Amino acid sequence: MKKSLVISGSGGQGVMSAGIMIAQTAVDADKYATFLPEYGPEQRGGSAKCTVVVNDSEIISPLMAKCDTLIVMNEQAYAKFGKTLKSGGVMIANTSRITSEITRDDVTVVRVPADDLAVELGNIKCANIILIGALIGAEAGIITEEAMLASLDKKFASKKAEVLALNHAALAKGVAYGKEAIHK
Amino acid sequence: MEYKRPSSLKPTPSGFCPGCMHSLATKLIADVIEELGQQENCVHVAPVGCATLNLAYWKGDIIGAAHGRAPAVATGFKRTNPDRLVFAYQGDGDCAAIGLAEIMGAANRGENFTVIFFNNQTYGMTGGQMAPTTLIGQKTTTTRYGRDPLTTGYPLKMCELLATLEAPAFISRYALNTPKGCMEARKAIKKGFTLQMENKGFSFIELLGNCPTNWGLTPLQTMEYMDTNTIPYFVPGVYKDKYAEVK
Amino acid sequence: MAKQLVKGNEAIAEAAVRAGCRFFAGYPITPQNEIPEYLSWRLPEVGGVFVQGESEVASVNMVYGAAASGCRAMTSSSGPGISLKSEGISYLAGTQLPAVIVNISRGGPGLGSIQPAQQDYLQATKAMGHGGFHVMVFAPATLQEAVDLTYDAWEYAERDRNPVLILMDGCLGSIMEQVEFPPMKEPDRKGTHAWDLNLKEGEKRNGRLLTPYFPEALLEIKNKSHKMMIEKWQRNDVKVEEFMVDDAEYVVVAYGISARVAKEAILRLREEGENVGMIRPITLSPFPKQSFRNLNYDQVKGIIDVELAIPAQMHDDIALEVLGRAPIYEYCRSGGLLFDDEGIYAAVKKIIDGGAK
Repeated sequence: MKKSLVISGSGGQGVMSAGIMIAQTAVDADKYATFLPEYGPEQRGGSAKCTVVVNDSEIISPLMAKCDTLIVMNEQAYAKFGKTLKSGGVMIANTSRITSEITRDDVTVVRVPADDLAVELGNIKCANIILIGALIGAEAGIITEEAMLASLDKKFASKKAEVLALNHAALAKGVAYGKEAIHK
Repeated sequence: MEYKRPSSLKPTPSGFCPGCMHSLATKLIADVIEELGQQENCVHVAPVGCATLNLAYWKGDIIGAAHGRAPAVATGFKRTNPDRLVFAYQGDGDCAAIGLAEIMGAANRGENFTVIFFNNQTYGMTGGQMAPTTLIGQKTTTTRYGRDPLTTGYPLKMCELLATLEAPAFISRYALNTPKGCMEARKAIKKGFTLQMENKGFSFIELLGNCPTNWGLTPLQTMEYMDTNTIPYFVPGVYKDKYAEVK
Repeated sequence: MAKQLVKGNEAIAEAAVRAGCRFFAGYPITPQNEIPEYLSWRLPEVGGVFVQGESEVASVNMVYGAAASGCRAMTSSSGPGISLKSEGISYLAGTQLPAVIVNISRGGPGLGSIQPAQQDYLQATKAMGHGGFHVMVFAPATLQEAVDLTYDAWEYAERDRNPVLILMDGCLGSIMEQVEFPPMKEPDRKGTHAWDLNLKEGEKRNGRLLTPYFPEALLEIKNKSHKMMIEKWQRNDVKVEEFMVDDAEYVVVAYGISARVAKEAILRLREEGENVGMIRPITLSPFPKQSFRNLNYDQVKGIIDVELAIPAQMHDDIALEVLGRAPIYEYCRSGGLLFDDEGIYAAVKKIIDGGAK
C-alpha cells in the first residue's frame, strides 16, 4: 500500500537523514521508496523538508499535495505543513520545539518532546530517531521496528557500541510514545 | 649550418603578411619539434586570431579551439593522452583578454603542456583593434588617438602575472627582432618541450613580435619600434624557472 | 545486480562511469553538485580524470579536448552554467566531437532560483549554441530511465559525432529512488575512432586536423549533412511513452517529473470515468511528432501541455503537429514551485468541465 510521509524542521535537526533512513529501510524490506529533499540555499539553519513515499509497487509520483503521515520538528514546520496531513493520518510532533496547541482532531497526534528526551539519553542528535520510533509505535504502516533497527545497525556499523546502543534506546523511547498515543 | 625548412612544416608558402614575425615563431617551434624528434607525437592546439593561420603549414595533429580556450582544450587532451607533446600557440586577445581565465587556470594547476604566447600588441586578424598588450599611446582602430590608460588601463604583462603562481615550471619572454632574441627563444621553446616530456609541468614562453600591417610600418621600422617601445615595457628575460639545470 | 537507493545526480554520474566515461570537467552549481562531487573520487578509481574547471566555459572546452583524444567525456551544469557552456557545445557540434552534457535544470531566466524547473526546453531543443545546430535531448522521468539514457548517450553521440544533452529537472536530480546499474563498459582508447587524435599502437601518423572552421562550400555540405542527421533522428530515434491515449478525449503532454505527477492525476481521473491519456516525450529532440499525428482528432477534445515553465515552452512543438485540430491548453508552474497530483487533477478536471480557456 502506498504511504507518503513528510518530515519537516530546520536544517541540522536531522530531517534529511531521517527521511533517507526510512527510505533505505523500506528498500531493504523489498519495498519501493522515493526520497525527495527540499531546502533553501543555506547550508545550515534554513527550513528543511523531505517527502518519502513507500509502496509495494513502482512509485509513479514522488510529489503529492497531501501526506498520510507527518513528522514536524519545530513550530514553523507545524504551521506550514500541519494542514497537508490527510484526515485520518498520523502526526508526530516534536513538542520540545512546538509550543502552539495542535488543534487537529481528525488525525492521530503523537506528542513527543524529542529534543528533551534525546538530551536525557545523552545526545541531542538522536531526536530524529526518537521521532521515527514514534512513527513506528503509532502504526503508521511505513516500516517496522525490526527493519529500522537492522538498518540503523547497518548504517552505524563502523561506530562504537555506545552509538548503536543509543540508537536502540532512542528508537524504543519513541516507539513507547507512539504506542501510548494510539492506545489512549 | 644549413638554413632549411623544418620537416615538421608543409612545403606551403606562408599566409602571414610580409614581414610578420608569426612566420618566424612558427619556424622556431617547428625546428625544435624536429630536433626533439616529436613530429609524429606533437599536437598543436590552435587558437583564434592570426595565430591560428599557421595550422595550414603544420604537419602535426591539430585541434582548433574556441577563442581563448586553447589552454582548457589542451588540459582535456593532455590529461587523457599524457604521452603526446601538446602545445598551444596563442595571440594577444586569445591569451591575455578573452582567455585570461583559461591561461591562469591551466598555469595554476601546473598542467603539463606548453603555451607559446605571441605578443604583437594588436588584434591582427580583425583589423588592428586594441589588444590588452597595446602600448600606452599606441594607435589602433579602437584607440584612434592612442591608448589612454585612464579609460583602457595598462598593457598586461603576462609573464609577470603568471610568475606570481606557484605551479608553473618555466616562464620567460624573448623579442624576435634580433637573431640573438630568436636563438634564445628557440632554446626556451626546447626547454619548455623538454620539461613537458619529463612531466615537469607547465611552461609559458612569450614571444614579442610585430604587425607591420596594423602598426602601419615597414617590417624594418617595426624592428626599430620594438627596440624603442616594446622591449622597454615588456622586458625580455626568465621570470620563473624551477629547473635551471634543464637546458 | 540488486537495486540500490541512490540520488538522481549520483545515478547519472555512476551510469556515466559504467558507460565508459573517463573524463569529467565541471564547475559547481546547484542543483547538480553531486555529479562533480561523485566523479571527483569515482573517476580516479577507474583510471579516469576529474578536473574542477575555473569556469563553465573552461570545463566544456576541457571536454572538447578530451573528446579529441578519443576519450568519452562529460560535463554537467544547470541553466546559468549551461548558457556559458553553449559556446563550447557549439564548437563540439562544429568540430563534430562526441560528448555528453547534463543540464539539471532550475528556475530562470538569469540566476532564477536554485529550485527545480523546466525552463530550458527551448534552449535545449532549438539553440544549444550559436550557428543553428541541433543536439539529441534526453529527458528522463525516473532515475532508472536517467541511468539507462546516460549509459546509452555516448552510443548516439559517437554514432553521430555530435553532443547529446541530458535534460533533467532539479527535482529528479535530488530525488532518491531505486535503480539497477548496467555492467561496466570498457572504454575504447585504441585510437580507432574517426575523430580521435589518439595514436594506435606503433602508429606514426599525424597531420590530422580537428577544426571548427570551414571554407564556405565545405561548410554548406556539413550543414546539409547535419540536416539529414536530424531527419534521421525523427525517423529512427524517437523515444516516447504513450499512456492510455487510444481512447483519450484529453491528452496531457508532459516530460520529466511533470509527467510522473500528471500520471498520478490521470489515474485518478480514469477512476472517475474521464478518458484522459498522456504523451510523454523521452527524447525532446527528436520530438515525438508521430504520436501527435496518430491521434484521432474526431475523438480528442483537447491537448493539455503540463510544464514547469512559464511561458510554456513545449507548446509550439505540440501546436506544429496538432495543426489546429484540437485546442491546446496549458497548465504550468515555474520559479521552483512544483506540481502536485491534486493541482494537475483540478486543472485537467476544469478543462474537461469546460471551465478553462
